[in-house]
Amino acid sequence: MTETFHLELTVNGRPRSVDIVASHTLLDVLRDDVGLTGTKECCVVGECGACTVIVDGKPINSCLMLAAEADGAEVLTVEGLAPEGRLDALQQAFLDTGAAQCGFCIPGQLMSARALLQRSPHPTPEEINEALAGNLCRCAGYEQIRAAVLAAAGEVQS
Amino acid sequence: MKDQGGIGARAHRIGGVGRVTGAQQYVADIPVADVLHAKLVTLDCAHARIVSIDKSAAEALPGVHFVMTADDLPKPMPRFGPEYQDRPVMADGETKYHGEAVAAVVADTKDLAEEAVRLVKVEYEVLPAIHSLEAALAPDAVLVQDPAIRRPGPNVDSNILSEYHFGWGDVDAAAKEADIVVEHTYDWPSQTQFAIEPHGFIAAPDDDGIVVWSSIQHPYQLQKTVAKVLGLPMAKVRVFAPDPGGAFGGKQHTKLEPLVAFLALRAGRPVRLILTLEEAFQAVRRTGARIKVRTGIKRDGTLVFQDFENHFLIGCYADTGDRVSAKGSFLSAGPYRTPAVRIVSRSILSHTTPTHPMRGFGIPQVTWARESNLDEAAIAAGVDRLEIRLKNLVKYGEEHVPGDTPADGDWAQTVRKAAAEIKWGTPLPQGQGRGIAIGVKSGPTTGLSYSTVRFLADGSAIVFSGTSDMGQGARTIYAQIVAEELGISLDCVAVVMGDTAVVPYDQQTSASRSSVLMGNAVLNACRDIQRKLRARIAEMEEIADAAITIDRGVMRIADREEPLPVVLARVLGRMGGEVVGNGEARKDAIAEHPLGGTALFFEFNCTAVDVAVDEETGETTVLKQITVGDVGFALNPVQVTGQDEGAAIMGMGQTLMEHLIWGPDGRTRNLGAIDYRIPTSLDLPKELHSFSIENADGPGPYGVKGISEGSLLCTAPAIAAAVRDATGAVIRDLPLSPERVWRALKERT
Amino acid sequence: MQAFRYLRPATVEEALGLLEEHGDKARLLAGGTDLVIELRNRWRTPEVVVDLKRIEELRPAIRVEGKRLVITAGTVMGDLERHPTVLERFPALAEAAAVVGSVQIRNRATLAGNICNGSPAADTTPPLLVYGAEMVIASRTERRRMPIDEFVIGPGKVALGPAEMVVAIELPMDRPIAAAYTRMTRRHGTDLASITLCCGVDSKGTTRLAYGSVGPRALLVMDESGVLADPKANREQKAPVLAALFAKASPSPTSMRAGPEYRVAMLPVLGARALATALERLGKTA
Repeated sequence: MTETFHLELTVNGRPRSVDIVASHTLLDVLRDDVGLTGTKECCVVGECGACTVIVDGKPINSCLMLAAEADGAEVLTVEGLAPEGRLDALQQAFLDTGAAQCGFCIPGQLMSARALLQRSPHPTPEEINEALAGNLCRCAGYEQIRAAVLAAAGEVQS
Repeated sequence: MKDQGGIGARAHRIGGVGRVTGAQQYVADIPVADVLHAKLVTLDCAHARIVSIDKSAAEALPGVHFVMTADDLPKPMPRFGPEYQDRPVMADGETKYHGEAVAAVVADTKDLAEEAVRLVKVEYEVLPAIHSLEAALAPDAVLVQDPAIRRPGPNVDSNILSEYHFGWGDVDAAAKEADIVVEHTYDWPSQTQFAIEPHGFIAAPDDDGIVVWSSIQHPYQLQKTVAKVLGLPMAKVRVFAPDPGGAFGGKQHTKLEPLVAFLALRAGRPVRLILTLEEAFQAVRRTGARIKVRTGIKRDGTLVFQDFENHFLIGCYADTGDRVSAKGSFLSAGPYRTPAVRIVSRSILSHTTPTHPMRGFGIPQVTWARESNLDEAAIAAGVDRLEIRLKNLVKYGEEHVPGDTPADGDWAQTVRKAAAEIKWGTPLPQGQGRGIAIGVKSGPTTGLSYSTVRFLADGSAIVFSGTSDMGQGARTIYAQIVAEELGISLDCVAVVMGDTAVVPYDQQTSASRSSVLMGNAVLNACRDIQRKLRARIAEMEEIADAAITIDRGVMRIADREEPLPVVLARVLGRMGGEVVGNGEARKDAIAEHPLGGTALFFEFNCTAVDVAVDEETGETTVLKQITVGDVGFALNPVQVTGQDEGAAIMGMGQTLMEHLIWGPDGRTRNLGAIDYRIPTSLDLPKELHSFSIENADGPGPYGVKGISEGSLLCTAPAIAAAVRDATGAVIRDLPLSPERVWRALKERT
Repeated sequence: MQAFRYLRPATVEEALGLLEEHGDKARLLAGGTDLVIELRNRWRTPEVVVDLKRIEELRPAIRVEGKRLVITAGTVMGDLERHPTVLERFPALAEAAAVVGSVQIRNRATLAGNICNGSPAADTTPPLLVYGAEMVIASRTERRRMPIDEFVIGPGKVALGPAEMVVAIELPMDRPIAAAYTRMTRRHGTDLASITLCCGVDSKGTTRLAYGSVGPRALLVMDESGVLADPKANREQKAPVLAALFAKASPSPTSMRAGPEYRVAMLPVLGARALATALERLGKTA
């Protein structure tokens, strides 16, 4: 039995219309159906945050959201941060501070950081640690990541 | 900030843009046309005899191509391994650890593969599993490995895979000279590398050969292994090694690639296998260890002897467990001047996940024991814990292991810096404590790296390097060296890695070797270019070679200076083309050395911490963590700090929370992210400071040493010492969970 | 994940109709942070997944209705932890909501889902027990209220019929209780708690303690002697009263998260800490 679902959503500003398997998560659909592989798969239990995307303005674990739930939603993935190929302030800050080491967690970190700066443009270091606590970095570049978010604070347009 | 520059610059990571835009492709992201999906069939137990496998229902499912079992593989079952060729491509009649594949399904989609796995009916008999040192060494213990596949030797009828004896002097005689002797046993639990990218593999038939993609640290060893298992010439095995999404030792060697290669050959199409995080935990882990240490000192703290008995609980196949036991143990006595040292080290087989090294290669385990025991001796003698270390620390150029490389740094400078930064000797409030520990690790004992650099007509350059850039930033370092040596800007350098068909050989990416060994190969390739340019200019200007010097991107003839890109343009003339340089760096093996070679350099770190302990709950908070590494020279200070802080935080996590838990049946109970805890952004030391000692005295380019493991080597003893300092509670096994600290607090005398 | 049909009713009536039609082959989807894991691991294999998020009545909302604070079934932890009324009147609930997983989880996980899953470690159960919350349960025939203490039964079990659903959780606002929430975890970052604990005191001197993760369900116990809430009572006087309240704790002997002896020992430690905070809060409101 394969139950399908017709999904219409906006990903990084671009309307998408896809027939999907109803049991697939937003992570599955972004990677396999839409073809945007910047969003990463690791723990699939909502612990690591590698799959974090922003849905209707809020960061969520795309591994724990059925794609069908995103019907009609606006989804922002890491690929949508630099739509014209120009890095945004956060991406630039991540480069400047050396926050991206192996890089696998970075798309998720960026999405959590982006959402934080949208709700709190000038976060304290403690707020950053709290906001990014759902994004594991095994390279443990937490200090550089926090420095990057601080550096970018205020420069991100909401 | 030196911008966009050569060596020493805070240059942006090459590959950084891809990492912040999502464009960086890891194995799971690589588009492969017509790819099929594989999924492993495993049993929910550790040790079992496979009675039968019925794949008919699974294979009847439309979209399922086939189910492969051991019966479909060549006989005898091909086996491989970095040191011992004991690991089968797939479980052969018996599973030896929880998660070992007994079959693999290949299907059109991931959903179908998953569905089919559930339809494979495996009849099996659960057998008793060994997952502790006690059980493995019990006189009636079941043998993990069939003696028939073991190397002959005295231990072949036991679960001891190997036994090493190192040391010098006469410990028994020295023991009589010691005023204070302290003996204790320290446990380090099994842990897992937990790269955020679970291992991924793709294989595809390629004419009469095969192409394999793997997130692997040692692509050239994978190439050799796949060639051997499949019976192909190495030239017909092409390995693509995309940058691993973290490795930490867990992606060094071949695991499931031979199986995926067999699947692809049978399918006649590309096959992809991406492990889940749970499966990644079952693919590899770090050895746990039990280290018994006896330390003898004079009343003033002078070391008289050190006596070690080390047991490493390795998996069911040798993998690198044996090497970790040997190399980790070899330096058990640390960076100290000890008249007599005895080290016995055994690697013990068990029905558990095969082990790779993890950041530190056995050194964190032995350092935990040695430094903790040294503290206990100092306390017994009433000698200051910093003082005892400085007193016994070898001086620059002095041997700490007779016959091996002598101390290659001013190590006291590193220790004094850490002590100064933690304000050693100043008082702390009630409930807080301070600890300090030293870690030293041999860098590579052998090594061979080649690099090619192409200096293109427009003054840009391409570097070819077989290193895996798994986050340490190797690519950036090589580009900085090339920019420096050829006198060009960093954005004119491209680095090509990860393709064994195109990039020349590199032995491996491990032991913090790459800046030194591959760094020297890249440097030598640049020097080769410089040599060629000089020879051609000498010809063109009809002067002697010796009249021309080239240094760091500039050619000088008498008082005339010319940047190398200009020189290149003159040399190439109207025809264009390029100048190609080849470089090599090697560390030769020494047959009679117990490790097969002396240390190319030492990674030396001193870590000092202040902690607060909640006496009611046992919770430990690291208030301040100081890590000082002797790095020789920081080619890229941003990357050095990133690596060192990363090692420090990882070390803190391993001290406070990380351990694999086995059930009585040998199953790993805490597979995955929910019950294997690693530090998050809320678990960091309240203050973390990383410092580098730079005396440009390393063997790498411009005096660089490897640095990527440093601070992890000695975090655990430093934190445990601080907990003891704060509370009087002595803990000799890890992790220092609140519960364990609470228990120790209750038991303190 | 096993294949299923995804349905999204627009009304509670419609959702209840689907539950009646599909019986135990249907599963309600609120936030999905637990359900999707259960589906992926095939711990649950429903044929129909009924997404509640398009039901207008259940949309995230926290509002005062008379003497009650009404929290709709679609309300997520992130809404609770920041809501001014919750912060002011029910700070222990805000504290519990704020430690449920990460920001990403809290943007999806609902309060109703947290309770309906029946996890013994659910963070929000203890404060809801202390505050005397009621579950508003809808069936095709009626709407009824049930005290959460009766609703929560045991691991994975709540008092919900096959064709019933929780549409809201209500908190009484006419019973001022000053409360605080605390927990025991293996790390400071997101974690499943090995102890969850909420302590509330009121001006009459009654102390309510609710604690979870140390038995099949979170328990609510009370001290009506007034000793615990007495600001003049000392530590030694309070200790035996507190200890008696934890008598029913029965932590799992096989848990990986913490041993039973440790958990039992930590209950009075956490209890005393939460009590101190609750008393401090009571002092501020008095």
